[in-house]
Amino acid sequence: MQTFRYDHFPLDVSCVHVGLFTNVTNAAQLRARLIQASLIQGEAGDVEREAVNFAFVEARLISSILHLQTAVVHAILAQAQGSLRTKTVHSEILWALSPNNNASITEAIRRFGISDETTALLAIRISSPDLTDVEGRMRAVVSGDLSNLNELRQVTDWTNIRKYYKLNQDPALKTPGLEEARQHVIADEIVVSTVAMKSVLA
Amino acid sequence: LLKYRFHKQYRHPSLDTSLTKSRVAGEARAIIRCLRHGVNVPGIRMVDAAEGILVLEWIEGQSVRYLLGGGFIVRIRCSPWYALQLTTSPSGMITLLEDAVMRMIGSEIAKMHRADVIHGDLTTSNMLLRRPNPPKGLQLVLIDFGLAYTSALVEDKAVDLYVLERAFASTHPASESLFASVLKAYEERMGRDWKAISRRLDDVRLRGRKRSMVG
Repeated sequence: MQTFRYDHFPLDVSCVHVGLFTNVTNAAQLRARLIQASLIQGEAGDVEREAVNFAFVEARLISSILHLQTAVVHAILAQAQGSLRTKTVHSEILWALSPNNNASITEAIRRFGISDETTALLAIRISSPDLTDVEGRMRAVVSGDLSNLNELRQVTDWTNIRKYYKLNQDPALKTPGLEEARQHVIADEIVVSTVAMKSVLA
Repeated sequence: LLKYRFHKQYRHPSLDTSLTKSRVAGEARAIIRCLRHGVNVPGIRMVDAAEGILVLEWIEGQSVRYLLGGGFIVRIRCSPWYALQLTTSPSGMITLLEDAVMRMIGSEIAKMHRADVIHGDLTTSNMLLRRPNPPKGLQLVLIDFGLAYTSALVEDKAVDLYVLERAFASTHPASESLFASVLKAYEERMGRDWKAISRRLDDVRLRGRKRSMVG
C-alpha cells in the first residue's frame, strides 16, 4: 500500500492511501456490503459504513498511477472547495474518472467502480494523517493479494479504456506503424488530461 | 508547470472572473484537441478555472529560440542537451541539424492546423525541444495556448504562419531559408489544403494581418 501526502490541502483530506488488490475473490460480496451499508440506520450502520469507507475502483480501467492521482486530486479539491457533485470524497473519485460531464453519477460508479466480476481493484482512502493501520482496514474488507502499485500495468484493459474515453476516433492513435508501447503512452496522456480538464469540458 | 491568471485590478470584477474562466477553459480545450490529434503539447494535470489556475506537464527541454540564438543571446559555457549543428559538432551533446528541427516545427504546426486549432502566438519561444527521456522521446513541443482558438478558416491558418514568419525574421537574423524548411514540411504534412493556405499566405504577406477587407 502506498500513501501520498498533499500538504497544500486541508489536513483532513491531505493523506491518500492506495492499495492495489489482485486475485480478488469477494467482489460480489463487497459490492453487496457497500449497498447494504448505505441502507442500515443508526450506530450499527455507522460502524459498517466506516469499515467500507474507501473508494473501490476497477483497476483494469486505470491507465497509470498518474491517471488515478489526477482523479483523486480533483475529488479532494471539490471537497475542499465545497463543490462535491457526489455524497463523499470517495464517490467523487469515481465521478472524476468518468469522462462524461452530463452522465449520471450512478453511471460513473457502475462503470469505474467494482462489479461482481471484478478481480483487480484499487482501494483508496482519503484521510487526515492520524488515521492508523489503513492497510489493515483494507485487508479486512478485500479478499485478494495486496500488490505493489507498479503491477497496475499488468491488468490494464486498454480496449475498454479506449472505448470509455472515446479514443478510438482520435487521429493521435491512428498513425500507421505506431508500436503498442507508444500507443499506451499517448492514450494515457489523453486520459489523464481528460480527467484533469473535466470541469471545463465544453 | 502552474499557470496562474491572477485577478486583474484594472478590470471590473465580474468581467474579470468570467474572462479568466473562459481563457483557462479555452486554453485547456485547445490543448486537449491537440492531444487527440497527435500534436506534441504539454499534458494537462489540473484545471481550476474559477481560480484561474491551469497546471500542465513540465517539459524538460530548451526553446528553439534559445537554440537558434539571435543577436542578443550570449553563448554561455553551460551544457545544453542539444546543439544545432552549424559546422562541427561539439562532443557530449546531442546534435541536430537546424533543418531537421525546422521540419519538426512545420510538421507539428500542420498537425495542429489539421485539427483546426489556431495557436495565435507562434514564435520560437513557444516551441521546446523535449529532452529525450523515456517514455517520451525527442519531440518538438508547442506550448502556450493562451491565445489559441478553434477555426477551420484558411485566413486564420495563413495568419498563424505569417506571425511565425515575422517572428523568425525579427528574432533570428538571416533565417529565410530556415522558415522555408518549416513551410516545406508543413506542405508535406498538410496535403491538399496547402494550396489554398499558401495562396492566402501570399495575400497576407502583401496586405498585412487583420486586413480582410470586409466592411
